[in-house]
Amino acid sequence: MSGPGFENLKALIVEDNAHMRALLRALLNSAGIKDVVEAGNGQMAIEILRERKSDLVLSDLAMKPMDGLEFTRYVRNNDQSPNPFVPIIMISGHTEKHRVQAARDAGVTEFLAKPITAHNLFARITEILERPRAFVRCNGYFGPDRRRHQRDDYAGPWRRKDDFQDAEIR
Amino acid sequence: MTKPRKSPAKAVEIIAPDSYPQMLSKPRAARALHSLRAPETAAKAQAAMEAAMPAMRAAILQYVDEMERAAGDMAKLFETAHEIRGFAETAGMITTGRIAEVLCRYMDDLTRLGRKLDTTIVALHVSAIARAAKAEDDSVRNGETVAAELAALVAKRLSDVEQK
Repeated sequence: MSGPGFENLKALIVEDNAHMRALLRALLNSAGIKDVVEAGNGQMAIEILRERKSDLVLSDLAMKPMDGLEFTRYVRNNDQSPNPFVPIIMISGHTEKHRVQAARDAGVTEFLAKPITAHNLFARITEILERPRAFVRCNGYFGPDRRRHQRDDYAGPWRRKDDFQDAEIR
Repeated sequence: MTKPRKSPAKAVEIIAPDSYPQMLSKPRAARALHSLRAPETAAKAQAAMEAAMPAMRAAILQYVDEMERAAGDMAKLFETAHEIRGFAETAGMITTGRIAEVLCRYMDDLTRLGRKLDTTIVALHVSAIARAAKAEDDSVRNGETVAAELAALVAKRLSDVEQK
């Protein structure tokens, strides 16, 4: 029987390593998420998404023939994507800054660095549930809002409709 | 005076969380959060991790064998080193994972800089990873020392390369 709240949740694991898939499935099961399907790469995941609704995706970054970045861009931007808003947690041992930024710019919801722990995985799921992010559609990007913090000293370009509504008059 | 802002470029559409389908409805999300934070969930998760460990450790040893056989094939070596890096620490093989992490950083940074890899440094890491993975007690002091010394060596070499 599924845990309270997660009864009807459908999760998809996209990971080329069978041991990591098994571990992720076991961790999701322990949280009460029982309806879990696995894919070995991004291409297989797309085929699964076309046939089965998924409410949560855990995806590895480095996979062949389609990696996690290309898969995420498909989910967010392709006209055939069944759910462009689905939360995607990118899981990777590649934690160099440029790789994390690439994942962010592809449209992932959360980034989880390996080694995997139950605490860290559940923390990312908690973040998605507690603080769902607004989505942004602009030239060249569709996905969760990449501005996670409001900085008073932000010096970049102001492009949003509501940037001027919030402007302070001094 | 308004904040010093550049003129707005193209309009950006913001879609608020309430305007698109969420992973769970709010009542279900509240129950799910409670479940995620419950001690019994943490205990089940810990048991799941422990149950997965033997198979994961065996897989790491298989990757190590593949890495040792990949001498000279840098693409294969990087691929297996990456698997070990991401996988070993999850399997509790901390020193093995740390040395693999240093090797991956070295190979990744030099490749991005368009520089040639020092095969001696790569071989040192491969050897150290194999010794750490095959040691009965992965957290022995020697392994930690080797990991720290290799990290220092790679940091110095990368610094030298970047200064040239």
